[in-house]
Amino acid sequence: MAELPVHTAGLRKVYGSSTALEGLDLEVHPGEVVGLLGANGAGKTTTVKILLGLVAATAGEASLFGRRVADPQARRQVGYLPEHFRFPDWLTGAELLDYHGRLAGMPAADRRARIPEVLERVGLAGRGNQRLRSYSKGMTQRVGLAQAVFARPRLVLLDEPTSALDPIGRREVRDLIRDLREEGVAVLLNSHLLGEVELVCDRVAIVDRGRVVRAGRLDAMIGPGPQIRVRLDRVDERALAILGGLGEVVAVDDTTVVLAAEGTDPAAAVAAELVRAGYGLQALIPVHRSLEDIFVGLVSEGSG
Amino acid sequence: MSALPITRLSVKEAVSRRLLLAGALLSLAFLALFALGFNALYSRVASEAGQAEAAMAGQAETAVAGAIMTMLGVYIVQFLVAFLALFLATGAVSSEIDSGTLHAILARPLSRRSWLGQRWLAFAGTIAAYAVLMAGLLLGIAQMIAGYGAVAPWRAIGLLVLEGLVLLSLGFLGSTLWSTLANGAVVFSLFGMAWLAGIIEFAGEMVGNDLMRNIGIAVSLLVPSDALWRGAAYYLQSPAFMAASSAVGEPGGAGPFGGSAPPSAALIGWSIAYVVLLLAMAARRFGRRDL
Repeated sequence: MAELPVHTAGLRKVYGSSTALEGLDLEVHPGEVVGLLGANGAGKTTTVKILLGLVAATAGEASLFGRRVADPQARRQVGYLPEHFRFPDWLTGAELLDYHGRLAGMPAADRRARIPEVLERVGLAGRGNQRLRSYSKGMTQRVGLAQAVFARPRLVLLDEPTSALDPIGRREVRDLIRDLREEGVAVLLNSHLLGEVELVCDRVAIVDRGRVVRAGRLDAMIGPGPQIRVRLDRVDERALAILGGLGEVVAVDDTTVVLAAEGTDPAAAVAAELVRAGYGLQALIPVHRSLEDIFVGLVSEGSG
Repeated sequence: MSALPITRLSVKEAVSRRLLLAGALLSLAFLALFALGFNALYSRVASEAGQAEAAMAGQAETAVAGAIMTMLGVYIVQFLVAFLALFLATGAVSSEIDSGTLHAILARPLSRRSWLGQRWLAFAGTIAAYAVLMAGLLLGIAQMIAGYGAVAPWRAIGLLVLEGLVLLSLGFLGSTLWSTLANGAVVFSLFGMAWLAGIIEFAGEMVGNDLMRNIGIAVSLLVPSDALWRGAAYYLQSPAFMAASSAVGEPGGAGPFGGSAPPSAALIGWSIAYVVLLLAMAARRFGRRDL
């Protein structure tokens, strides 16, 4: 069996008196896009830095492809885009890629052939001979992505890869990530842009105060089907029985029921049944439960 | 070279900095100025000496003038080499961390020790090339104008290079410990302290004061830069100058900035060990640091 691209167990990091990670467990499998979600300071960047050997863990295990992260060879097949990435600005884009290819051990001929290919892939075709100094913020982020995927890594760690990009640029990055997945590359994506993660990740791990508070497949986490918030003049046993026949009652209070409905047009069925039974239907609101709801729920739960 | 990508990039970085280009131009201007001044002064001393009654005394006078001017010239070169080393070293690690350029590089399969070593090598090569070129050209000018020949020019240049490497390593270690600015303040102060201690030691020799001598020796252990310069200065004397100064009972009379004795093997050994030791400490410190 191939070794896991990313494996951590009980990862702990203490900086002086503050604890950044408190027993973080994480796995990323080949060809899987995993989103690491969390508020600022939750420990996402620290996790990535530990994986890259930039920061030493206080305790716990971390390995890439079965090699402990303290071994530089663990990073042989890894591409990384740092959050606050800066490159020597007197290099040209092509020189930067060549340099990183060299550091990754790529032969010269291979590097030469791959430079235009990767520049094109990130939307910088023809800009390779321009100095990085003259690049815009978005172009710098693109060349950073190019650098991360240049040496054909089997694992790519992206720390907020779209922060400087416009909506079109973000979409291109999503496409790039999907392509990587197609090629069997594992991707660990750090982001606080929940929408981004929702669109591209197979799995998410929600990090709060240094530990994973929830992890799993995105569809399982969000749950199947739409939810409907039903407000009535009164909520009694009979009303719940009727609603129970149309779906699963998720939450109840004096006047409101939240229903995880089934069927193709649940709202119409709910309205018709309740009115027929003589209830005063005051509101019928479809609720789109998103990753954001789960995230906010989990994170504020923790801090409450 | 292709096996040392960091070295390659660091050399390129040094070359691409405008500051260093300006430094190179100023260095050339300095050499030109030295040639002009040396020529003017020397021809004047030589013509005055020609009128002297005893030919022997005249020869001694020109020898002394040539030696003092040459040594002053190399003394300035020594400062230039030292400043180059300190400027390259003060931010060698810290500025890379602060600017964030280091993270993407160390995310490659490259150990920190290797990164540090390759970077040191690049700067060491730059400093050595600069020292050899500047001192070599300056001695060449003195040779051309006055026929000045130092007793052991290559030993002197070797000691200058070693001085540069000592300061480079000191700055490297500081750069793994402190911010660029703080490190700059520390290493320039240490360099200045070594310089001052050299003068105190010289004065101690003159008046026979053991305490002053010991201060000089103690500081030389901490920062051997000035002691290495004094060794270089000894080898820069011409045989005629040595003869002239011992004739007046002042062997190695190059004054408080020169050298009156060849460098001891202990000094050279300690300086080499110092470079290795400081680099090892820098690697150790840098290897453990969270970035």
